[in-house]
Amino acid sequence: MTTGTKTQRPDRLQGGRRACLAAAVSLLALGPAAALAQSGATAFDLGALMAVLAQRKSGEARFTEERTVSTLDYPLRASGRLTFQAPDRFARFTEEPTTESMEVQGNQVLLKRGKRTRQMTLDAVPEVAALAEAMRGTLSGDAGALQRHFRAQVSGTAARWVLRLTPLDSRLARTVQQLEIAGLGADVRSLDLRLAGGDRSLMLVEPVAEGPASTPATAALK
Amino acid sequence: MSSTSALGALTPRYRVAVLLLWLAAMALAGWQITRTSFTADLSAFLPATADAQQQVLIDQIRSGVPARTLFIGIEGGDAQARSAASRQLAAALRSSGRFDQVSNGENDAWAGVGRWMVERRYLLSPAVTPERFTAEGLREGIDETLSLLGTPAGTALKPLLEQDPTGEVQRIAESMIPVKSPRTDDGVWVSREAGGTPPRAVMLAVIRGDGADLDGQQAAIDTVRQGFSRVQTPGLTLLVSGAPVFSVDSRAQIKGEVEWLALTGTLVMSALLLAAFASPVALVVAMLPVATGILAGIVVVSLLFGNVHGITLGFGSTLIGEAVDYAIYYLIQARGQGGTGWRHWLRGNWPTVRLGLLTSLCGFAALLFSGFPGLQQLGVFSLAGLVGAVLATRFVLPVLMPDGARGQGLRRPLGRAARSAIAVLPRTRGLWVALGLASVVLVVQRDGLWRAELSSLSPVSREALALDASLRADITSGGDGGAFVVVQGPDAETTLQRAEAAAARLEGLVNTQVIAGFDSITRFLPSVQTQQQRQAALPDTPALQAALAEATANGPLRAARLTPFVEAVTQARSLPLATPDMARAGALAPLLDALTLQHPDGHWTVLLPVQGVGDAVDIAQVRAALQGVPQTQALDIGGELGRMYSRYLGEARGQAALGGLGVLLLMAVALRNGRRVLAVSQPLLLAVLLCLGGLALCQVPMGILHLVGLLLVVAVGSNYALFFDMLQHGGGTADDDTLASLLLANVTTVIGFGLIAVSDIRALSAIGSVVAPGALLALVLAAAFASPARTPPKPL
Repeated sequence: MTTGTKTQRPDRLQGGRRACLAAAVSLLALGPAAALAQSGATAFDLGALMAVLAQRKSGEARFTEERTVSTLDYPLRASGRLTFQAPDRFARFTEEPTTESMEVQGNQVLLKRGKRTRQMTLDAVPEVAALAEAMRGTLSGDAGALQRHFRAQVSGTAARWVLRLTPLDSRLARTVQQLEIAGLGADVRSLDLRLAGGDRSLMLVEPVAEGPASTPATAALK
Repeated sequence: MSSTSALGALTPRYRVAVLLLWLAAMALAGWQITRTSFTADLSAFLPATADAQQQVLIDQIRSGVPARTLFIGIEGGDAQARSAASRQLAAALRSSGRFDQVSNGENDAWAGVGRWMVERRYLLSPAVTPERFTAEGLREGIDETLSLLGTPAGTALKPLLEQDPTGEVQRIAESMIPVKSPRTDDGVWVSREAGGTPPRAVMLAVIRGDGADLDGQQAAIDTVRQGFSRVQTPGLTLLVSGAPVFSVDSRAQIKGEVEWLALTGTLVMSALLLAAFASPVALVVAMLPVATGILAGIVVVSLLFGNVHGITLGFGSTLIGEAVDYAIYYLIQARGQGGTGWRHWLRGNWPTVRLGLLTSLCGFAALLFSGFPGLQQLGVFSLAGLVGAVLATRFVLPVLMPDGARGQGLRRPLGRAARSAIAVLPRTRGLWVALGLASVVLVVQRDGLWRAELSSLSPVSREALALDASLRADITSGGDGGAFVVVQGPDAETTLQRAEAAAARLEGLVNTQVIAGFDSITRFLPSVQTQQQRQAALPDTPALQAALAEATANGPLRAARLTPFVEAVTQARSLPLATPDMARAGALAPLLDALTLQHPDGHWTVLLPVQGVGDAVDIAQVRAALQGVPQTQALDIGGELGRMYSRYLGEARGQAALGGLGVLLLMAVALRNGRRVLAVSQPLLLAVLLCLGGLALCQVPMGILHLVGLLLVVAVGSNYALFFDMLQHGGGTADDDTLASLLLANVTTVIGFGLIAVSDIRALSAIGSVVAPGALLALVLAAAFASPARTPPKPL
């Protein structure tokens, strides 16, 4: 957490990067609809999507996130790294603007902030558990895990799809309105989380090539 | 014997004097018993220790929050019915006033603590330093808070943003995130349904009041049951467990068992005596030494320990079987005319009885050194009881029945049976030796023969322990007792400062993942010193406004919106510092109760429960990290108890060996003949070996109580071996009557210990199941290894 990272305040970000993000999202959102219209009858359902996703046993990706919060003057941005390993490991490492991480394994959550570390149980906080299941369930292709907490709707094709998750539990629905995950093949490419109060978090995901190729990919994003 | 006439009959004056003395002693004993308190406190069967470090832990087990905590489960129905019932029951318990704390996962229960945290955040947050209120520090704090906004976790923080932009509440809350907490569903705690646990709603309730007040605990448990009966949802069942349930149930169980044992023991012994003597008078007289012994036992225990444990009384029933032997010997062996029979007994049999008593005392004396207050009580009870019974036999019985009992009853057939057995038994020596060798092989081969755990001492049934473990696993981080850092000091302030130092070290261990987390009262109630430091770090209003303006320039959160923050900091500058009394008066009372011990002399103990990574806490690393913090120790209670137990088991084995050696030594001194000592020890050694073999064969995990049992086999068995020795060398004649008395005495002993062997109290059944067969074996073996030469042959 150096002062250097602090200088990355939203106003100083290049406008181009934000535009790029928005364009990519609209592409992803529109894409599946177009593809569905093209392919016509062949229904691509949850089972089929899960089968595609289940092929991937582990993965690493970079993310950029933009959060719109009603009480703030402009959106918040963050970026970092996501990792996943079947069946139950999932982690988010935020690198900008502050260093923090959340690592989920099984029912254990490890939170790190700067030098501080906390460990907690996932299922003690159902809201967090449900969202973690949404991520893990999607990445590992576990329809059961998703359907325990959400109504899942799939549109698009195996090549370009959108998974819309709506909370089943009324408590969760008080916080989370919907989560829309879009992807290309076995890659998750965006997560669009809409909170009940109108706040929104949009995360774009860029898979990192397998193996020790994470540094070039990091460079490519910047 | 100056008190007796030349003819050998007792003078009337002597008889009156003895009887008066005895009656006076009994009356005194009765008076003392009315002032005696009887307990069923389970911790008596935990090792006692003089070590201050371990005493803290025993203190806590005895009277701390764990002793007052109920674990409650609601099973059956559907998830919705269970969660509704959980809410309803929790509300009923909270309003009953019988509980300090009722937790079922509902957040409202913590509203008071939450308010305390929000109001006092600038005195509680570890982030409050002078640097925190510079422009740079404020910007960092705001950035951190913002990093959570727009996520589901930030939803709860958002309403606080303008009052607390630097996220002090969040920082405090973060430090309190429990490492392991119950699964939550529909707003209440539920089981994880892993490993076969049925779906259930779970809750935890801490009973108000003293953990030792069993009536209070009983009332609280009844409140839970009544509260649940008012829920009236069909199909739901209530589960209640925890230390209070164990204590209350054990008290009831021990009471029931003691009554049952006393009644059954008396009835069976009476029937036996009546059959043997066919004389109600003899029966009553035979019971006198028993009654004397029991009274003596209770009185001495009550004087030495201040109370008598229920289990001691249960064990006392074996004394019936032991003490009645002396009466039987006397009544049968004191044969004579005109009131001189007692002289015959005094000459021929009393030395053997006396030696037998001494060897028995030697055996029981080993219990005194056991380190378990409960077992020490059993030892004292038995010592005093046997001495009382023997004194009554020696002095009172000659006064009442100077010529013994004449009734025949079953004595003849018993004697004949004994004689024919004795004729045959020496021929079976080879068989016994072979069995003994087989036992040695069996014992040597069986790994971990001594593997009974501490829980085997507890009177709580296995099923109850399993339910308890299951509910605990749902609710807490599990594990017995867990690990604690214990900080002590002469007063609240010093102790809290030390606890803060310890907490800082532990924080380091959390960050390096040596431990998963810990709890500390200092997060809610810092020392006055720390609060003052934090208060001094707060800037005045103009300075804060200036720094805030700089920090928020170009940020997404405008300074103009943060007036509530400036006001809050200004208020905090003059906020009265929190004291333990203030905390105790409010919502923090249960936390203060659970995490501190305040002693009557004003000194304080702060407990910091430590949660390990995985199942265990690396206590050595915790100790190393705490080096230099005054009066601070790390304890692993489960491990400590286990270690203490195995240490005591080791010590007890040494003591048992010493006790056995003492028995041998006594016999050697009395007999003064190597060959006789050898002849007497052979059957004892074999009896112990066969018992061990039998236990190994039945795969019984052996513990301290089995060891005690073996010692008693030696102590009781030595009586029989000495008896046969007396028949051979002491000039006594082995007529049918004498043999009958021996057989009868053995039967009463076996019945006495047999009764406790089938008792539901595991501490008793362990002893009984060793001594009952052991005593029988000792008699058979004593007969088998006695040389038959001197017994006059008598054809059947």
